[in-house]
Formats: sequence, C-alpha cells, structure tokens
Amino acid sequence: MNGPNLGRRRFLSSAAALSAAGWAGSVAGGMVLRPNWAHAAGAIKMGIATDITGAIAPSGNANWQVAQFAVEEINKAGGILGRPIELYLEDTASDPKIAVGNVRKLIQERKVDVVLGGITSAMRQAIKDPIVNRGKTLYIYPQLYEGQECTKFLYNTGPTPAQQCDRLIPYLIKTLGKKRFAMPSANYVWPQLLNKYARKVIEANGGEVVFEEYYPLDQAEYSATIGKIKDGKVDCVFMTIIPPGLQPFVKQLYESGFQKNGGALTCVYYDENLLNYHPAQEMEGLVSCLDYFQAVEDPFSKKLQEGYAKRFPDTKYLFTAGSASTGMYRGVKFYEAAVKATGGKLGREDVAAALDTAVLTEGPGGGAQMVPGHYHAKMNMYIAVCKSEGGKTRYDIIDKASMVDPREC
Amino acid sequence: MEFAIKFAFDIMAFTSVMVLIVLGLGVIASMMGIFNFAHGELVLLGAYTVYVCDSVGIGGWTGVILAPLVVGAVGLVLEKTIIRRFYATPIIAMLGTYAIGLIIREIIRGLLGGHYKAIPEPLSGAFVVGGLEFSMWRSFIIATTLAVILGCWLLLTRTSIGLRVRGALENPMLARSCGISTGRLYALTFAFGAALAGLAGALIVPLYALSADIGIRFLVQAFLSVMLGGVGTFEGPVLGAAAVGGMAAGLPWVVSPVLADPLVFVIALAIVRLRPQGFISVGRL
Repeated sequence: MNGPNLGRRRFLSSAAALSAAGWAGSVAGGMVLRPNWAHAAGAIKMGIATDITGAIAPSGNANWQVAQFAVEEINKAGGILGRPIELYLEDTASDPKIAVGNVRKLIQERKVDVVLGGITSAMRQAIKDPIVNRGKTLYIYPQLYEGQECTKFLYNTGPTPAQQCDRLIPYLIKTLGKKRFAMPSANYVWPQLLNKYARKVIEANGGEVVFEEYYPLDQAEYSATIGKIKDGKVDCVFMTIIPPGLQPFVKQLYESGFQKNGGALTCVYYDENLLNYHPAQEMEGLVSCLDYFQAVEDPFSKKLQEGYAKRFPDTKYLFTAGSASTGMYRGVKFYEAAVKATGGKLGREDVAAALDTAVLTEGPGGGAQMVPGHYHAKMNMYIAVCKSEGGKTRYDIIDKASMVDPREC
Repeated sequence: MEFAIKFAFDIMAFTSVMVLIVLGLGVIASMMGIFNFAHGELVLLGAYTVYVCDSVGIGGWTGVILAPLVVGAVGLVLEKTIIRRFYATPIIAMLGTYAIGLIIREIIRGLLGGHYKAIPEPLSGAFVVGGLEFSMWRSFIIATTLAVILGCWLLLTRTSIGLRVRGALENPMLARSCGISTGRLYALTFAFGAALAGLAGALIVPLYALSADIGIRFLVQAFLSVMLGGVGTFEGPVLGAAAVGGMAAGLPWVVSPVLADPLVFVIALAIVRLRPQGFISVGRL
C-alpha cells in the first residue's frame, strides 16, 4: 500500500479500515480516492460499485485496483480535458440486496457522473434500475456475460457469447477435429444462455451436443456425469460449471482419463486466476477464449501489466480478463474518450451519444470500439491452450481474431 | 460388470467422504447433545493445516498427520473456554457454535483472499486392477474411513474409556457419583470429535480445493445424516451418512442432477418421519 494518492485515502466511516490481509474489508461508508490536484470546474466523479467482500471478492478487488490504476494514469496525464477524476467506491458485497442501497448512495449522495461495476449478471440486473432508470446515470458493465442486455445508457465492455464462441467452436471442430460435445453447467442464467448460443454454433459447424446438463452450484460428486461423458463418446467438454462445484468435476474428469484419451476440455471464463484453482496436471490442454491473456505480448499490454505490478506489488488480485478487470480498464478509458469527445460536457445524453461511437486505439489485448447503437464493443479475441510443465501452468496463445463483433442488440 | 465395479467404487468413495465428515459431528451430538455448527469450520481448519504444511514445503503427508492433532487441540481449547458453558442450553449452543464457525471461516477467507487453492494429493495417480483404473487417493480415503470407523467402534465398546463415556452419556449424575469426571470426559470427547473433523478436512481437501466454504457445503447434509441415523448411538450417524452419501452420488444417475439434490432431502425426511428414532434404536451405546 503505497503511492502518493493513498496518503489522501479517506475513510468516511469511522470504523472502516482495510486490514493488511484484506479481510474485514468493510467499506461500510464507502470510500473516496481524490486526485492530488484540483480544477476550477471541479472533478469528474466516477463511481465504482463492485464486490469488495463476499463470494466474488477476488474479482471485485481486482476490479477496484484496476479502476484505481486506470484513473491514476489519467489523472497523472492531466485528467480529462484538464479536469481530474475523483473515484468513489461502494461495496456491492456479492449480494444484490446490499448492493442496491449502496449504489443509491453513489447516485444520491455522491452524485457521480457514471457508475462502473457489477460482476455477476444477478448483480447487474439488481443495480441497473437504481442507476439507469431511477438514478438517471450512465452505467458501464465490465464482465463477460450471457448477452441480451440492451438497456439504453448501459454500456457493456466485456465479451459476449458471440465473441467467445464464434471463433472458438469452429477451432474445436475444424482444427482439433472434435465432434461430440457435452455441456455440463452450473444452474444459473449465464450458462443457460451461453449454452443456447454455443449449441447453435456447434450445430452450424457440424458438431453434435450429446447432452446439456445443469447442476447445483456446490455439487460435490459427478460420477453420473462422467459416466454419461464416457457412454456418449464425448470428445469435447464445453464446461460452464463455476466454483465451488468446479474443482471436483475437473478432478473426476481428469481421473476418468478423458484428456489422456484425446478429449478436449474447454471453458470460456478461464483466466490466469482459474489455473491456480486446480493441480497443474489437470489443466493440461484446457482451451479458453478471452479478450486478453497475460501471454499476449503486444507492447501496450506488457506496459499495462508492468505498471499494475508496480502500483500493486505482490497483489493477490491479478489484472486478468475472467475477473472483469480488462472490461473495467476499457470502461474507464471509453468514458474518458467519450467525455473528451463531448468537449467536457458531463450530461448523460451527451456522454452516451459520444460513448456510442467511442474508439480505443489501445488497451489490454489491443484496442476496442463501441458498435454504434448496440451498447457493446468490438474487441480482439484470443484462443489460448494451457500447458503444464513441472507443476507450473501457462497459457500459449494459438489464435487471435481482430475486432470481433459482439452481435448483440 | 465393469460398470458395476466402477459405479460401486464411485459411490463408496463419496460415501466415505460423507461418513468421515459426519463421524466427528455424530460423536459430539450423540455423546454430548451438542449440535456443533462449527463442525464445517473444524473440517476447514484441517484442510487449512494441510495447505500450510504444503506451502511451507514440509509435504502433504505431514499435513494429513498434523491436521487431526492441530484441530483436536483447537477443539480442546474451544471446549474449555466456550462450549462447556453451553451444556445446559442446547439451543444457545447452536448459535454459539455457529458464531465460532463464522469467525473461523471469515478469518480463513481473509487469509486466502477469497481465492481457491489447489492442494495436490499426497498419493497421486491411479492403480489398475483387471483393466480398471482406480484413483489412489480415493482408495486411501475409503481405507482410512473404514479404519477410523473400526477404531472408534473398538474405542467406545471395548475399552474402559469407552465404558466411562457410555456411562456418562447414559446417566451423568450416576457417573459423577461413581467418581467419573464427566467434565473431563466431555472435553476429551469434543476434542476427539474435532480431531475427526480435522482428519476429514485433510483427506478431502485434495478432492475439492481449499476454500473458506469447503466445510459448510457438507454441513447441512451432515446434519441430515445425523438426524436420519439417530442421535445417541455411534452406528446411527455412520449409517445415516452412508445413506445420504449413497443417495447424493447415486440419484444423479437416474434423475436430473438439479432434482437429485432436493430429492435426497425429501427421501431422508420421509424416512425420518417414518422412523423418528433413527435407524438404530436398540442397543444404544
């Protein structure tokens, strides 16, 4: 915890203090990160509503750190048209009920000009109404998700099912020669809608879905599923199970010899964090498709990682795609670009109009571009395969698709 | 035939996990009348001990051996300081142990940063019998579970400690008047139950990866097992756990997995309704 700005960190709640280990991370009164300089017209107020505590905390903390990192970069370079950005954090606590109240604080008390955040779809659904409808404020949602979010003044900066499947599935079928797919999934909205889209792409490319099955989120035993994978001669498992039900499934699949016998395991939210959730040997050959991997070595992405590592040395919260961090970075930069385009006007209509056509020339994994009228962004997509050597895992990038269309709305 | 063997092995492996977790809970509930809501976190502490040993590089096996000792010691301290104040008020005991569990769980969640940690099996790989592959670690869990059940049973039925424990359970007043220190016995019983939880945590963590919620996900099913088997006996909870574990692993073969989960509860509750005294009602320990 260092850096010049942190000296000005102010906790509005008397008791709230982030402990060194990161728990008791009660930000009960919210938290403000002020720039160390001022402007006559006042600062631009940016609200971050993310999961600092609760089940999604690892991703939420990464989002908050990335937001700080991006905003500090902008402020260091002179702000947006000379005006600094002031960051306001509210904890959504991985709980939509708590989140709604806290997000209202951002809108009503802090009167922020834009809100970025929310990670799960349940969270987005819960906070979009207080932000966009009742709060009349712009909302940017950073996570990869199931699509179909076409609310005015709500901009999505993470990848959609089309971006994650359109290149990946043809690769699995045509290049790897997989034909028979199984879709074991956690029972909630993201897997259900993603599978619907993926199934279409699989069938359009000549593949076949042997079974699509949903499990309670904390299922601990999968021998029945493994049996179906064997009996159905499945050669590709398109998985959307999430922790905690995830690890026992992957272990039982590995123990059944699925990969050893030539089967492919693929999952489209697997980033660098997720590899550490399993023993290295179980991850060998896993195929993922995201807008960024740390193995992407373009000069700008490398510079970003170095800057982030310097700002947050030895952090547990990595700058990765699966945790919505890349979407968060993009969101902050899109907003900057939009405000620049309006000439400094912060009204919702003005910024939204500019955001609709905003273009980023660089970012993690490359630039991005809003598709006018569609509330989603074109971005580069990468297919990566996990290699495990001597107990260590890494991703090898094997395919890059430039400026893939989100195909939403 | 091949299928039947694999099927039986998978069900046995998961049932063993359930039995291991329930054993400590059942011992404490049966012998002391305390429903220990911190049991899941004692399992977590066992798992965490293995993780610490693994990350400082003294090996997974050391962790597996240390876990029951460490968690047993924690259990002893908890009993001496907190639990013994609850014996007269079982309902408050539930809330109290729940609070203890919450504190342990959230501290460990903080230490882990909310992440999951993969723990390698101390005994990895598989062995082949008749062309069929069996996971070494799952086999080790099955064997250990059988050994632990046998050990506990012998301890309770064939030793003088077991006799005193049973006496204290049957009639604490009379036991005390015979010169048995029930307070000491209860402390030892709680520590023993905690040690069993620690062992369970150490054995299952390679299967599920370490997270703060590793214990709590089994807790409701564990309580169901104790209810199903019947409180007050040693065999009851073990049989209950075997039934719940077997159903949880077996039902997804015949119905959709999302249905299987609640179905386990429906069936178990129906049995409890028909046999409220549990599976075992005669020849109580």
